[in-house]
Amino acid sequence: MSPETAHVRVSHVTKRFGGVTAVDDVSFEVPKGSFATLLGPSGCGKTTTLRMIAGFYDPDEGDIEIAGRRVNELPVHRRGTAMVFQDYALFPHMTVRDNVAYGLKVAHVSGADRTRRVDETLAFVGLGGLGDRWPNQLSGGQQQRVAVARALVIQPQVLLLDEPLSNLDAKLREQLRVEMRVLQRRLGMTFVYVTHDQEEALSLSDWIAVMNAGKVEQAGAPWEIYYRPRTAFLADFVGSVNLVPAKVLDVTDDSVTIAFGSQHASVQRPKDVTLAAGQEVKLCLRPESFTIGSSAAKGVEHGIDLSGTIVRRAFLGDTMRYWVKVEDREWIVDQPDPGGSATLDGPVSLSLRPDRVHVIAE
Amino acid sequence: MRSLQREPALLLALLAVTALVLLFVVYPQLQVVLTPGPGGYVQFLEEGTWVGPLRNSIQLTLLSTTTAVVLGFVYAYAMVYSNMRWKPFFRLVGILPLLSPPFVVAAAYTLLFGARGVITYGVFGQSPNIYGLNGVWGVQTIAFFPFAYQLIADALSRSDPRMEQAAHNLGAGSWRVFRTVTLPLSRPGLGAAILTTAIYILEDFGNPQLIGGTFYVLPTQAYSLISSFGEYTSAAALSTILLLLALGLYLAKVRLDGGRSFVTISGRASSMPRPPVSAGVSRACFVACLALAGIILLVYGSLVVSALTLRFPNNLQFTTEHFQYVLSGTNGDALRNTLVFSSVAAAVSAVFALFAGWLVQRGHWKGRQALDLLLILPAAIPGIFFGLGYLLAFNQRWLDFVDRGWLIIIAFIFWNIPVGYQAAVAGLRQIDRSIDEAATSLGASSLRGFRDVVLPMLGGSLRVGFVTTFVRAVTTLSLVIFLFTPPTTVATIRIYQLVGDLNWGAATAYTVSDIGMAIIALLIFAVLARGRIALGAARA
Repeated sequence: MSPETAHVRVSHVTKRFGGVTAVDDVSFEVPKGSFATLLGPSGCGKTTTLRMIAGFYDPDEGDIEIAGRRVNELPVHRRGTAMVFQDYALFPHMTVRDNVAYGLKVAHVSGADRTRRVDETLAFVGLGGLGDRWPNQLSGGQQQRVAVARALVIQPQVLLLDEPLSNLDAKLREQLRVEMRVLQRRLGMTFVYVTHDQEEALSLSDWIAVMNAGKVEQAGAPWEIYYRPRTAFLADFVGSVNLVPAKVLDVTDDSVTIAFGSQHASVQRPKDVTLAAGQEVKLCLRPESFTIGSSAAKGVEHGIDLSGTIVRRAFLGDTMRYWVKVEDREWIVDQPDPGGSATLDGPVSLSLRPDRVHVIAE
Repeated sequence: MRSLQREPALLLALLAVTALVLLFVVYPQLQVVLTPGPGGYVQFLEEGTWVGPLRNSIQLTLLSTTTAVVLGFVYAYAMVYSNMRWKPFFRLVGILPLLSPPFVVAAAYTLLFGARGVITYGVFGQSPNIYGLNGVWGVQTIAFFPFAYQLIADALSRSDPRMEQAAHNLGAGSWRVFRTVTLPLSRPGLGAAILTTAIYILEDFGNPQLIGGTFYVLPTQAYSLISSFGEYTSAAALSTILLLLALGLYLAKVRLDGGRSFVTISGRASSMPRPPVSAGVSRACFVACLALAGIILLVYGSLVVSALTLRFPNNLQFTTEHFQYVLSGTNGDALRNTLVFSSVAAAVSAVFALFAGWLVQRGHWKGRQALDLLLILPAAIPGIFFGLGYLLAFNQRWLDFVDRGWLIIIAFIFWNIPVGYQAAVAGLRQIDRSIDEAATSLGASSLRGFRDVVLPMLGGSLRVGFVTTFVRAVTTLSLVIFLFTPPTTVATIRIYQLVGDLNWGAATAYTVSDIGMAIIALLIFAVLARGRIALGAARA
């Protein structure tokens, strides 16, 4: 990424609270107009990082730049970042309209112009006509939209969002997720988004940084994070996964031959990782990558073929999840579109394409 | 720290607050402590004149606290737990003493039980000597049990009713629930209530001054050393002993409740239902409360009757002459002074304390704990000590161009800072930090965010600070006894002088006017605030 296109740059930032290092030498760049997400379990340092970008915390070490300008010494209100808070932080003593108008009032935007911009923004987030309500008269989803409108109306350089959907129920969360993405695309604004919900991160983002224990474990496009995790933590944190111990038998330029259980397979070699024959590795196998069928009616064979016995199952609506015992391990296998009566039981055969196998060297 | 460097206005505001607190809280107190000097302390300790008053103070505090707490506990238990009738009436009667100077009890006591008292002389034909330990003990018990009641009721009602319901559900009777669940859970709160009551009693100046006779306690001895002998050194040393005792009690209280308890009295009933007590207990509670409320009403009733009759109790002919006297000339001025000084001080103190609370609670700078301590400190400083400090520090010739009324106002402001401050801290705890942060992230400076967002949301804390400071300013005698001048005399001083002149008609009319004025002012304020007012416990 060239320096001109980096809109937010975090370089070697460290933040300690007492003896605890909350953020440990973190660096990343967010391109202008992209939707970037910091993803991680609670306590991983993602919110602390976001709050340092906003200016609520001072980094102990490192620099933060916005639009090519170092902002470490700027107070919060001069940074051109607006924040959407997890609990929305709407001003309870102001109407929806006054909440949204607040940032414009502070910036001395005058009467008619202010009214127009407030009305436009409220309409934009689908709250036209609710301007005279009080925050406590709105539903959670509406409050969330007010919080977004209040931040958007001042046209910040960067919009910072701290788990803005986590207080909503699942259905609404999914709906607002789509709206959020559409909104960001339409505005072309740079969003930095914090969440612990991997599904949210995958569906929203152009770019994800997964954080753990104060460090960025891996950053990249959502599919890279999902299919090519660099560590077992990442593989496990993002989605469901089978982590299977394996041994490297042979390495060539673009392929690796591995042994696991009684199986052998030749699979794609991961980039930027040194592997040597004899090395212990882990295989990352996603449950939906398998094809499952009853062992009697043997289906398509993909190259890696296993047989096992179903131990238990769970109906998840869009998929049926099976736990299948193969040799001495349980594997998680998903069957898409299971239908009502197609439930499998007893001995089954599993099949997997070698290009779906990802090798994690640890 | 860095956030302050980035916002010079915020830094400036913080420095101003700190400077004011140092000048008006720390500096005057240091004056008192340092006045005797090392030699002075040695000489003072050797003379031994402090032994008697110290012993008397401790003895009186132990006795009066015990009885006041017992009576207060009965009243509180009845109010919180029983199903007795007339609760709103008892609640109202319980608030009345908080709105009046505690020493009116001593005045009423003299009228009722003195050498020519209605009961002692009128009914029994006796002329007992009421002055001395027993008189003060009785009077303080009556004067301070309503305070103990408010504090204890608050501590009891803080216990979670769900715990009590759980115990009840597991088969415990109401007394057993109270003994095994409520009391253990509210022990820290009760301890803090007892210690707070003890501080009130230890610092009380008016009652021992009026009927102590030759029974001197620390505050009255310090006062008489100055007023009779001009003995500033000994008075300062004696006040320092008083301060140390009060500080000790206060620190013990903070240890118990972590300095976190914040009591407000709004006259509204708690809405939490509790396991019912038996009908017999409720009846006993009713009788006890009736008796205690009767005593309170007897005190105020005798004041009102005395104020409206020619020469109570000998000549009960109705007259308005005492009230005419009260409202005329310099008497009227003193009443007006009280109203003006108290209102101005209450408004300034409430806003200043709120702002200081916000700076301390929301800031990230070093030294917050020190400022926090200084803002709570006045709660532990006896009025007599605080007033003496202002006398020593600011009664200077080069300050003669300043109207002395300002000195009294400033003393009111800073003596009462802890109430507004603790109300602000309690209020800020209810407001998530993200609310302030939302304002700054939308482009407002920290100070702008305080003005636009925090201040309007802390109306409740502001009102508690205002009402409490006002009431304390209207009712205090000890703080102003060293500070008033003829043109800046206030109501409590005037009442004290009239009692000293044995002008009972005028003294009682003045007392009734003072309390009446305070109540009317509070009612006006309550209307302005649409009924949403509450009184913070005077020693937060």
